Amino acid sequence: MATGPDESKSRYLQYLEKVTGPLEDKRRYRQYKARVKQLPESYRTAAEAMERYLMLLGPADGAGAMAMYEDLADLFEQSAADGTPIRDLFGDDPVEFVEAFAANYPLGQWRSRVRNRLISAVERAAGEEPGRQDRTE
Amino acid sequence: MGKQATEMLKGTLEGIVLAILSGQPAYGYEITAWLREQGFSDIAEGTIYALLVRVEQRGLVDVEKVPSEKGPPRKVYSLNAQGREYLEEFWRTWSFLAERLEQLREGGK
Repeated sequence: MATGPDESKSRYLQYLEKVTGPLEDKRRYRQYKARVKQLPESYRTAAEAMERYLMLLGPADGAGAMAMYEDLADLFEQSAADGTPIRDLFGDDPVEFVEAFAANYPLGQWRSRVRNRLISAVERAAGEEPGRQDRTE
Repeated sequence: MGKQATEMLKGTLEGIVLAILSGQPAYGYEITAWLREQGFSDIAEGTIYALLVRVEQRGLVDVEKVPSEKGPPRKVYSLNAQGREYLEEFWRTWSFLAERLEQLREGGK
């Protein structure tokens, strides 16, 4: 979540963002929501379904997630403009497409913690030095 | 397209898309259309988009936004020098794999 120290930000803003998370992310998220709202109904329904899935199982936090939602909006706007049928967009297995899409962005905190726990447990079990590899991106 | 073909295609799709782009720049829809013409009918358009996002993030393609008559500007992808290098490696890996599998098949006779 940390955006790093930003000298140009007022102390008040710095304090506020400690509480709310980066305001820039919130602005980008609101913009994304507005773009989805503008989509024709079937595309909007599909985009919202994808968003629900990503909220639970995708990179739910941080700037990486905002880039992901913007790419999602790009895809649906383009598909709506081209008239791509929803089934052609998602294919026979929607989960496969959505997972391939989500894999392009940094893992959410929860999933990366679970992965790192597995990696270090295997290192310990294998009798290796800890921190030999770190899969978090 | 059978299930087996779809599974095999997954591992090579990135190389296929880069190979298409080495011929000429294209946007996402054109790539999917080309794949369908070639009989790769099971590939979701979204999967191609996700792949294009990935190769862009990894710096293998250059992207130019071209205004379109209807809808948002289109992203046109073209292979850059790094992408060409990557594609060469893909073909080397492919040759290796194809050769070994052929040996396996002949040995099994």
